[in-house]
Amino acid sequence: MKKIFCLGALTLLSVSSFSQKKVDFVEYDLPNGLHVILHQEKSTPIVAVSILYHVGSKNEKVGRTGFAHFFEHLLFEGSQNIERGEYDKLVEGNGGTLNANTSNDRTFYYEILPSNQLELGLWLESERLLHAKVENIGIETQRSVVKEEKRQRVDNQPYASFITEAFKRMFVDHPYNWVPIGSMEDLDAAQEEDYVNFYKTFYVPSNATLSIAGDLDIEQTKKWIDKYFASIPSGQAINLVRDYENMTNDEFVAAYGVELSVLDGQEYNNPKSAEARKLLAKYAAMPTSIARPPNYTGKLTKVIRDTVYDNIQLPALFITYNFPNQTDKDFCALEMMNEILSGGSSSRMNKSIVERKEMAVAAFSAPFGMEVGGIGILGAISANGVDLTELQKAIDDEIVKMQNELVTQEEFEKIRNKMESDLIDMNSRVAGIAENLADNHVYYGSAGRTNTMLEGYMKVTREDIQRVAKKYFTQDARLILIYLPKEN
Amino acid sequence: MKKLIIATLAFLPLLSIGQVDRSIIPSSGAATLINIKDSEIFKTDNGITVILSENHKIPSVSFQLSLGADPILEGPKAGVSNVMGDLVMSGTAKLTKDELDNQIDYIGAYLSASSGGMYLSVMTRFRDKGLALMSDVLQNASFPESEFDRIVKQFESGLKSAKSEPSQMANNANAKVNYDAMHPFSETMTEESLKSIKLEDVKQLYKLIYVPEGSYLVIVGDITKEEAKAAVDKYFTSWTGGKAYKGAPLYSKPASGSQVAFVSKTGAVQSVINVNIPMDVAPGDPDQIGLTVLNQVFGGSGFGTRLMQNLREDKAFTYGCYARQNIDEHGSLLTISGNFRNDVTDSAITEILYEIQKITTELAGEEELETTKAAMAGSFARSLESPQTIARFARNIEKYGLDKDYYKNYLKTLAAVNKDDVLRLAKKYMSAENVNIVVVGNDEVAAKLKAFDSDGKILKLDAFGNAVKEKKTADISADQLIENYVYATTQTTSMKKAIKKLKKIKSYSRTTELSAAQIPFPLKMSEVWIKPNTEGSKLEGQGMVLQKSYFDGNAGGTTSMQTGSKALTEEEVTAQKKSFGIIPEMNYATSGMKYEMVGIEVVEDKDMYVLSSTDGKKTQLDYFDKVTYLKMKSIITNTEDGEVRSAEYDFGNYSMQGGLMSYGTISMAIGPMTLEGKVKSFEVNGKIELNTFK
Repeated sequence: MKKIFCLGALTLLSVSSFSQKKVDFVEYDLPNGLHVILHQEKSTPIVAVSILYHVGSKNEKVGRTGFAHFFEHLLFEGSQNIERGEYDKLVEGNGGTLNANTSNDRTFYYEILPSNQLELGLWLESERLLHAKVENIGIETQRSVVKEEKRQRVDNQPYASFITEAFKRMFVDHPYNWVPIGSMEDLDAAQEEDYVNFYKTFYVPSNATLSIAGDLDIEQTKKWIDKYFASIPSGQAINLVRDYENMTNDEFVAAYGVELSVLDGQEYNNPKSAEARKLLAKYAAMPTSIARPPNYTGKLTKVIRDTVYDNIQLPALFITYNFPNQTDKDFCALEMMNEILSGGSSSRMNKSIVERKEMAVAAFSAPFGMEVGGIGILGAISANGVDLTELQKAIDDEIVKMQNELVTQEEFEKIRNKMESDLIDMNSRVAGIAENLADNHVYYGSAGRTNTMLEGYMKVTREDIQRVAKKYFTQDARLILIYLPKEN
Repeated sequence: MKKLIIATLAFLPLLSIGQVDRSIIPSSGAATLINIKDSEIFKTDNGITVILSENHKIPSVSFQLSLGADPILEGPKAGVSNVMGDLVMSGTAKLTKDELDNQIDYIGAYLSASSGGMYLSVMTRFRDKGLALMSDVLQNASFPESEFDRIVKQFESGLKSAKSEPSQMANNANAKVNYDAMHPFSETMTEESLKSIKLEDVKQLYKLIYVPEGSYLVIVGDITKEEAKAAVDKYFTSWTGGKAYKGAPLYSKPASGSQVAFVSKTGAVQSVINVNIPMDVAPGDPDQIGLTVLNQVFGGSGFGTRLMQNLREDKAFTYGCYARQNIDEHGSLLTISGNFRNDVTDSAITEILYEIQKITTELAGEEELETTKAAMAGSFARSLESPQTIARFARNIEKYGLDKDYYKNYLKTLAAVNKDDVLRLAKKYMSAENVNIVVVGNDEVAAKLKAFDSDGKILKLDAFGNAVKEKKTADISADQLIENYVYATTQTTSMKKAIKKLKKIKSYSRTTELSAAQIPFPLKMSEVWIKPNTEGSKLEGQGMVLQKSYFDGNAGGTTSMQTGSKALTEEEVTAQKKSFGIIPEMNYATSGMKYEMVGIEVVEDKDMYVLSSTDGKKTQLDYFDKVTYLKMKSIITNTEDGEVRSAEYDFGNYSMQGGLMSYGTISMAIGPMTLEGKVKSFEVNGKIELNTFK
């Protein structure tokens, strides 16, 4: 299943306080650190249950790239109480649908269910969080599936490797160096302890956000959340449960210094034995520490020019610039500049390079904003027989124009309308709302940003757009990737 | 014993955390009430049926206009409606295309058009601006000449790529086998039909199709009834036109017995299989919901269907195999499709037919049916989140005369479908003995398909679904052909004279300049031959050697920029040794090459003899002009590690060079690329440095 997002931030977030209706929500933390966000929207009898785990490809080690995404596949395999292959069936057989995706910064799981199956969705997600179970056969199957996914989405798609190639060169000595799909050799190299450590480190309540939107009763939902999630132990006590369930007595003694029988399977959280209480308390007090990669500071300071040979028919050009993090104050202006360059058929790059000059069959510009770094890529696929030097000049001319002149008042109004329209569409479905609330909480520390996002764009001025064009689109520090057809 | 990774040995089903017995799957709450609001329906004086589904969830509104014309037979101009559809948005009497694009983008709206109608989605506050643009395009599309030329060019390249796109080829074949020639669905655009389409035809068709009578305007979203009525009044009632085109009732052609149609795609590693069953059922038929259940059990979406379980999970013949019902008022069709590797092509068809046989003779399982119905009920509920769904329901009720509570009762009707219904419908609409099978694949798979055809006569179709002209039997033998080819090349009249002339030629070298649309710089190809069987070739571009190869009579190798150097294998050396000399065909009889006369084929209106030669992994087809005996075309197919690669060479512009008739132009189609070559020099008995090719 389960698709992969190479770019966390192409998914814009949120809505406006302009013409958009406000998204009302409640949020709170459980004692074990799980953050909960609930939004009620009763127009259709369905509900979206999602969990965002704050782990993505940037949390991977060199030599284990692609692991976060691979792990996402594995976590559909089952749990202590859900047999292999049953997870999908329980959802689909009860009228629901499910999926997940992994970006550089996070992994996101969701189910969309008829609203009378909300409790089922909560139970399923709590099982995945507490004690997922993966067998060797599942690992082998999912490894093949991920390889097919890479062939289908990257290797077999013309030009699709440009993101991988750009990240590789723009982020040096930093985990943004690779993209979420990672390397198949690394997946083959994974050991049992890699799986166990990854799960124990990143799949804990304090690293997760449970976001639910749809036809739900807030009070009843809170009760169910208490039942299935509040009972999950805090800190390292969750890993104590996992080991309790999985280890032999000898292994358990070696790890914890006590016999398995000290703990109480019937009354796990409230054992009668003082020794068990002490053990639980000790591990509950031990927080799980997660290393967070730092902001990327090693920005490109010169021009790099490289050629990639691909299974393509028409040569193409991809030009990449250093960008700030998605949370940077300049990011809204960069996104709006991007809209002027390549949003819609009246955009500058389409009108000038594709339609008027007929130099390219397609031209685009895309900002890649992530949690601790960012880049912007401009690209064009050349039309028959067009010289790439000329094409590059045509793209550069558009940048220079942005830097030298203010965008026209009409264009400015156009993109303000476009941002508003996009934001409205994004919150038209409950699954989208659940995801936006969770993303805003995790990246911006405020689920409420879902309601103020448009204001951020509306504050941007024409001068801001000119300023960021000058600041980030540096002709003397950029990556120019040339794509040429492979010889047969 | 299975080894568990995260869980090593699960042993404690008893674990109870916080009074929760986690082994119990939560039961569902009370069934949710699905509330489908009635849509408003009203008609305009100019014949538009307006359907309004109010929904104020988000501040935007959409207008979908479906035109009322029946499908039109396009004959020699097949595809004119596609060209028209792509051109509608190219400007109006008042606005150029640029202005139109700009105004749509300015209000953040989406506006599109096709030969079937138009669609607008716009924020509430720009509703009037959006409608003004939609109404303008609807009534005043201008069809500028320059845009017509641009769109035709786009279709030209689309048709080119369709020839290598197996799913497109299968669709074209499906059109021909499932519908009579007089049914518009049987028509496919070809290079010839595109050529005959003129701008005037496009304008006429627009006038004929873009008329208000019989059309449906579906309005969904943030708009009240009063606002909708005012908007329709303002923007759609001035629209005029003739009667909507009405054709005779149309049906798919019922299959009687089974027919196999084969479309050859040289080099394919997978076969595209489509098993079609035309169905006599129209939208709104009381059987429709039951048919949907039947199809979901059989091969609808997901992994659990009969087809997926058998062909993917059990046999691993494919990544996916699905059944799709297309229930249309102009002819309905069930299509089972999938991609299968070459060697299981026939087995896959056997299994598909087995599943049809099974579902038409045996009752479905209780659990299978219940799970399917639950999944369908959920999918129905989720679909209601989109206001478009509600509007589509209202349109279907209106257009197909369904009961007004058809969708309100959908879940009830669905729940009532039982095993007997499924079997009854399967028997009524499906039969393993009456199917139209389309296979697009490599020629090698064709032979095994005869068994599936009732009369054993496989229909051979080209990429656009038209019958392939069969080869005629040749009037001369392979050896006679080679003799005539030698005379033609040497311009002599006897073998003795030819051999004498050829003896004088100790070596030759040829340089050719190549260009391809995809490569921004010219390439230079050099080829050399030295008596008796030393050869070299080299490809250069931008001062670099991209690829070179040589053979010195006993050994050889290739070097390429991508893959590095590789020596010829023993097998390749043996093959090379069989094909030597300035005219390798002369030596076939003695070198051990397998060769035969295939017959006469018509290529671009010329009769050509086709000679096939096979050695090891390489098969070559050479085409010789029946009048001049010169070689006009070669198709070379190499199979390596199960991968098939083919290249097609066309030769032209023959003239005497160095005493031999030699081609002056060569066109090489290799994979997705076509290289056009002009011979720059051809020198006989010059000095040759073989080392530069090593």
